[in-house]
Amino acid sequence: MVRRSDRHIEQLVFAALFSKAYLKKLCVLYVYLLTITTAFAQQLVKARDYPVVINDTTTYTLKLALDKAEQPLYFFCHVFTPVCLTGECKPVYINFYWDLLGNYTHFDFPRGEVLTKMDHKAFKPEDYEKLQGILNNPNSLLKDVSMTDLVGKGTENLADSVDAKAGATLKTVKNEVIDGAVYTCYTLWHIAHGKVVTEMQQIAETYKNDALLHRFLASDNHHYQYWAMERVMTKEGVIPADFQGDILQIIRGKNIFTARYALQKTSNQLFADNARQNWLWATYQSAAYPLQIAILKKMATLSLSTGLAEQTAQQVATANQEQVSLLLKILNAQPTLSAKTLQTLAVQLTNPNQLSATAIYQALEMRHPKNREVQQKMTEYTQTLNQTDK
Amino acid sequence: MQPLLRTLFLLLLSLDLLAQDHVFLETESFTDKGGWVIDQQSFVVMGSSYLMAHGMGRPVKDAKTTVQFPKKGKYQIWVRTKDWAPFPKGPGKFQLVLDGKPLNQVFGESGSDVWKWYPGGEIDVQNEQMSVALHDLTGFNGRCDAILFTNAPKFTPPDKLDALTTFRKNLLKLTDKPTEAANFDLVVVGGGIAGTCAAISASRMGLKVALIQDRPVLGGNNSSEIRVHLMGDVDKNHYPKLGRIVREMDNGDPGNGNPDAKEYGDARKTAIVKGERNITLFLNTFVYQAEKKGDKIVAVIGRDIATNKETRFTGTFFSDCTGDGTLGDLVGAEFRMGRESKAETGESLAAEKSDNFTLGTSNLWASLERDTVSSFPETPWAMQFSDEYHIDEAKADWQWETGFGNFNTITDAEKIRDHNLRAIFGNWSYLKKNKAAKYAKRELAWVAYIGGKRESRRLIGDHILTQMDIQEGKQYPDGTVTATWTIDLHFPDERNKKYFEGQEFFAATKHIKVAPYTIPYRCLYSKNISNLFMAGRNISTTHVAFGSTRVMRTCGMMGEVVGFAAYLTKKYNTSPRGVYQEHLPELMAIIKDETPPGKP
Repeated sequence: MVRRSDRHIEQLVFAALFSKAYLKKLCVLYVYLLTITTAFAQQLVKARDYPVVINDTTTYTLKLALDKAEQPLYFFCHVFTPVCLTGECKPVYINFYWDLLGNYTHFDFPRGEVLTKMDHKAFKPEDYEKLQGILNNPNSLLKDVSMTDLVGKGTENLADSVDAKAGATLKTVKNEVIDGAVYTCYTLWHIAHGKVVTEMQQIAETYKNDALLHRFLASDNHHYQYWAMERVMTKEGVIPADFQGDILQIIRGKNIFTARYALQKTSNQLFADNARQNWLWATYQSAAYPLQIAILKKMATLSLSTGLAEQTAQQVATANQEQVSLLLKILNAQPTLSAKTLQTLAVQLTNPNQLSATAIYQALEMRHPKNREVQQKMTEYTQTLNQTDK
Repeated sequence: MQPLLRTLFLLLLSLDLLAQDHVFLETESFTDKGGWVIDQQSFVVMGSSYLMAHGMGRPVKDAKTTVQFPKKGKYQIWVRTKDWAPFPKGPGKFQLVLDGKPLNQVFGESGSDVWKWYPGGEIDVQNEQMSVALHDLTGFNGRCDAILFTNAPKFTPPDKLDALTTFRKNLLKLTDKPTEAANFDLVVVGGGIAGTCAAISASRMGLKVALIQDRPVLGGNNSSEIRVHLMGDVDKNHYPKLGRIVREMDNGDPGNGNPDAKEYGDARKTAIVKGERNITLFLNTFVYQAEKKGDKIVAVIGRDIATNKETRFTGTFFSDCTGDGTLGDLVGAEFRMGRESKAETGESLAAEKSDNFTLGTSNLWASLERDTVSSFPETPWAMQFSDEYHIDEAKADWQWETGFGNFNTITDAEKIRDHNLRAIFGNWSYLKKNKAAKYAKRELAWVAYIGGKRESRRLIGDHILTQMDIQEGKQYPDGTVTATWTIDLHFPDERNKKYFEGQEFFAATKHIKVAPYTIPYRCLYSKNISNLFMAGRNISTTHVAFGSTRVMRTCGMMGEVVGFAAYLTKKYNTSPRGVYQEHLPELMAIIKDETPPGKP
């Protein structure tokens, strides 16, 4: 890890070495790497070693960083690998970091080590930036191509660049590698996303306990959240009482995808009582549109309190057509609706959206309302309909 | 009803109508469009173009015009618009400004994405001349089709297409005969790469040609409005003569969605066409009607997308280079749309069951690094993203694509474009807000509002090209254009599908490599319309084969062949099929460059 005084010196050296244009980009990357490494360093107390085979032959020591309380923090590994092309190999020393589920996070270097291209020139700041982008993509096209696909056989490709005349897929791969360092990108990507990932996932399982699950559910890392959700929910979506709060937090969290997943997976039991139903309705009011839709779909499977059914009916007035049809689906699914709710709906028969108005009418019709005012409004609606038809 | 009574009734009705004063404004005809753009992409479903405020999140300048009232008095105002992104309310808000005063009502945020007339209140007209302006409030694609002032207080303008079209035509006085353009040997409908090459080729063979394009620029998907690069090789041709005109159109390879519009060479393409003395170029003209006699097309009628003036084009031969097969559809040419089944075609890459699946439409975009930090508005009405899933890119490429069978690429063209915009703006808003290190100083430089469409109708010819033709490299005697592109059939990207099932906007593909093969001439003319050629993506192929023929250099060469064939149809007073049956050696000789092109 870099000490504070060293950092100042390094920054000065960098400033002298690079032109203004480079410096800007370099600073961004440098600050980024410093932030991550410093953040990790602050908590790291000790590490536990796990021997792993990273490529086919070499055994490395995968380290699990732990905090004071021996809670796992992240994995890292000092990797030395030859990057070879047409018989010529050059050594690469690099440190890789992963989260606890084996998702690659970043890299740095042992002191003094850098990456070079085929022409022995050192990587530029933007090359490091691009490398981080490449390694950060677990779905990279590098996954499914072989090295010979990339640069072809023979000596004419010594430039270590993807042949510009290659097929369309390879042209796309070209965006995912650094010219003059295709082998490096390829080798490093396959280490970061290779067999070692499974090893880390297996190790993570051995650390599973309630504390870790709570920590994961509350995390910003969606991989942690999904992993923990899978482990705290039953197949039917039933959640033990002491984890329900965590799940509700996820539903109200800023990640729309984990929120929607959590909501869709949970069993209706979670929203059986009034307080939880009101909580769900309050969530609807401030949710992003896709989550609103998911909430309405969930509500259509719940038996609502009279109060919430009434609020649902009131919402019809300000909803768009997709929402109106879902709101009515919720109401139609209720065994009974109060007289007040039917009245609330009847008022909405003047909805300017013809399709919405028709759906409201149908919802009322199936209840055979006795209330005269409601009946009157329904008659008025059918009369306007007839007028429009003429 | 008795005929007499009916006549009386209609007479009374027309008297009633005569008593009303309707002042009708098509927004696309505004004298000053300000920052608003003309969109004609939904003409087939709306019967009109409209104006749109495409400001990429910054309000655009007002569109203005002056309107003349027949008399002073009170008029009801009606505005035809929609909320294009009702999730639950869209951002396309605008106001109507009359004589400098904005109406209170804000349009475009109704929560309904159906085009309709919205009442805008009443105005007391004191001066018979009044200025009318559309004032954009957001820069996010608010749109307005037309405005109506009427002094009939109870009148509601029609929303149903047929009634509305009649209403428009009456008020635009389009009931009279359209202007006659001259009579042409070949009328080419569609000025993309295929159509432009067809027109140039025919013109150089001495034919009198009309080239009709529905946009202000030529080049279609390769124009600066869409910015797709030209693909398919011209250097592996069985007949090297083909591709000469395509090379003239080729402005180098700026890639897809290059932020510099000039890279696509619009002006150069237009100049080349204008340099052809036998071509009359009609830009901004949407062909929406055709006349037939027996199995022949006699004329087509085009409407100017801005002025709404109509022109009638008569011709001996026609070529459908619209991409959508618009002309073919108008005249009842046999066509297919969607995928055939394996059982139907015997193709290994065909779908198990036939369906409506098509490749999608791209709205490309690009951002540029600026000197200062900028922000981008929140977009709650757009697609929502998070750290877990977003597209971490500073510009688009071909993968930004919507419409995999969930939308009809012709009738839902507007929805598809809007879906693309919701993906682009939603993702960009996310990047600007959450990835400042990379995007703080980047700004959207360009977002296409015209969709780059890949697939729609395929008009059926005397031969339907199949996967087997391609992979077995069948060399038919009428094999002409050499195609080299892979069988490139897109489908929704797996991750995108996981997060946006049914609403995918990001594509993946598998390239099935092919050896260079030739496309038979019989794929380039209609089976049942005897004077109709076609070139471009709408030629006679299966869905699978289309995956390879659809790229633009290949399409351009089809146009070149159509030009040569049209020359022979004229020379021998025969049909496109007649050329195949009676004069194929001569057609092939022209293509082989063995006979110097004769002058008619």
